[in-house]
Amino acid sequence: MMKLHHIILTLMVLFLTWTVKSAAQDNAEDLMKKAHLVMFYSGDDGLTDVTMKIVNSGGKERVREFTMLRKDLVEGGKQDYYTYFRQPHDVSRLSFMVHKIPDASDNRWLYVPAVDLIKRISADDKNSSFVGSDFTYEDVSGRHWTEDNHKLLREDTYNGRAVHVVESIPKEAYKGFSRKITFIDKEYLLPVLEEYYDKKDELERVFTAGNITAIDGIMTPTLRKMENVKKGQYSTVEFNNIKYNVGIEEDIFSERYLKNPPRQFIK
Amino acid sequence: MLNKVARGFAALLLFLLAIPMTGAGETYFTGFLQGLYGGGLDSNNPTSSEMTASETRLQLRMESFSNSAEFFGRLDFTYDDYYEPATDLELREGFVKFKLGGKFDFQIGRQIITWGTGDLIFINDVFAKDYQSFFNGRDDQYLKAPQNALRASFYSAPGTFNIVFTPRFTPNRIPTGERLSYYNPMAGEIVGGSDYYFEGRMPEAEFKNSEIAARFSRYIGTADLALYFYHGFYKNPTGIDMMAMEAFYPRLNVYGTSVRMPILGGIAWLESGYFDSRDDNSGDDPTVPNSQLSSLIGFERQLTSTLTANLQYQNKYMIDHDKYVNSLVPGMIRVDEMYHLITARITQLLLMETVTISAFGFYSPSDEDFYGRFSVSYKYTDALTLAAGANIFDGTEDYTDFGAFKQNDNVYIKITYGY
Repeated sequence: MMKLHHIILTLMVLFLTWTVKSAAQDNAEDLMKKAHLVMFYSGDDGLTDVTMKIVNSGGKERVREFTMLRKDLVEGGKQDYYTYFRQPHDVSRLSFMVHKIPDASDNRWLYVPAVDLIKRISADDKNSSFVGSDFTYEDVSGRHWTEDNHKLLREDTYNGRAVHVVESIPKEAYKGFSRKITFIDKEYLLPVLEEYYDKKDELERVFTAGNITAIDGIMTPTLRKMENVKKGQYSTVEFNNIKYNVGIEEDIFSERYLKNPPRQFIK
Repeated sequence: MLNKVARGFAALLLFLLAIPMTGAGETYFTGFLQGLYGGGLDSNNPTSSEMTASETRLQLRMESFSNSAEFFGRLDFTYDDYYEPATDLELREGFVKFKLGGKFDFQIGRQIITWGTGDLIFINDVFAKDYQSFFNGRDDQYLKAPQNALRASFYSAPGTFNIVFTPRFTPNRIPTGERLSYYNPMAGEIVGGSDYYFEGRMPEAEFKNSEIAARFSRYIGTADLALYFYHGFYKNPTGIDMMAMEAFYPRLNVYGTSVRMPILGGIAWLESGYFDSRDDNSGDDPTVPNSQLSSLIGFERQLTSTLTANLQYQNKYMIDHDKYVNSLVPGMIRVDEMYHLITARITQLLLMETVTISAFGFYSPSDEDFYGRFSVSYKYTDALTLAAGANIFDGTEDYTDFGAFKQNDNVYIKITYGY
């Protein structure tokens, strides 16, 4: 009898810990999903001017200026991006278009106006640097939350504000990171700090989002920074003239407008 | 000289006039200053100069647009003393573009036009190229020469229609013997220097001698498909008028198709074109090229996050090879029925994409010739770029595509300051 009691008790304890643990996992995944949607899917569409600074370990600074348009086709799913470069001179007037498909490879096109050339770009490696910066293509358009297992580590404070701290581990071996710690602002549900660990489990890159401003009622971090602590270099982006829900049509993200920037949005 | 100054003022005036033309919504000025210095590696090259380049170039770009219309101009001023000091001025582009209704776009004026899928291999892209620039180290943008053209695009549910009308035939710019030597079939050898300065005989300036290029393209899934048509002339003077002892541009039609799509973690492309040699329909005239079918397959993918490579294979099949062989006079060069070409490109980015190392090789196993383009560039700052490179040719015979230029091996350095 004692034995049966033991077994039942053990099973009950196991069941309880399992439910509690999976609830915590659900909770963590839910948090990451919400944070992803706020960060990368705000509004139905959006546009912003971007100033990107790339600072190498010697302190030398390079600047890129571009305008980015985004349209969400499916909330949390397919998205279209359009980037029009202004500076530096060798990329000025260049445009770049991405049809992002979360479960598959993105489709990417580049238009080089000096030779009137449309080039399709292979998009196998999402870890490639975005225009030579410390941001990768994946950092720019976001890593889908379903690609990682998430665990809520603790509740904490960061810069005097309450945050959730979530650990994410890729479901499949991934060269971008082996482990990621995300600090999510409890009120805004925005990721404000991310720590990326490499395969040796050493801290490699740190992302911070700041200057959170309400734009059309949407809380938007207008200053973002990615620091490569191993290489001693960093890149920052500053968003200006942000607008949401401006009615960008889907056909803007086509070859026609790749060659002819939509001047109603891109001055 | 005065004429050039006058032309310069005229072009500048055109630039300024363009501002009110587009309603002057926004206007931007950009450009660059560039020095390019190159020397030949073969001291026996029979050209006028051992320099392949010694030029300073100022490019002025102006862009002006409103919601309804847009003007773009690029004006190049060069001082070139690779042989005899000379200044030049070229309007590289100067066009207006506008929309008509919701479905038509027009682009009218001097413009650079590209289509097709190949990487430095052109089948259905029968727009003017500048091989002089391509072979002496100028930027990639100078490979394409401008055409004075009217381009119309129509966007519809089945796909996009483009038509390019070029009233005056615009040939390729090819080595003329001045800066780069070439193979002269009449002399039977590689020639250069002022006795051999070369120019093809242009078609008469008549309406019927205009060029028409058309394309229909659409997406199916993730693949882009296109159909092409061209009516005009061979862009190189490949015909020989035996009576006048002159090279000319034979009449040509091209019918073609292409597909490009992502596959196996990269991008693959297929393109083919039928070159209908309209001055030699029966294929028995040895002084005009025979009709050909040209096909291309290519694949590109990233090997690491900073290393990209591609491979291409092209062949050209001569339609009436038997007739061609029968038509040859003893002593004439005999071209194979099938031509094969393999190309490879590798591009490595270093130091946060400030250093680019690039190598591009063309090799033809059938013609036994080779052309390699090698370059290293370093973006010292956003404005200042330093580059060095080499163009290397080799070939068993003097008369093949690349073998013809085998005495033109050169190295160059280039400094660009952008503003």
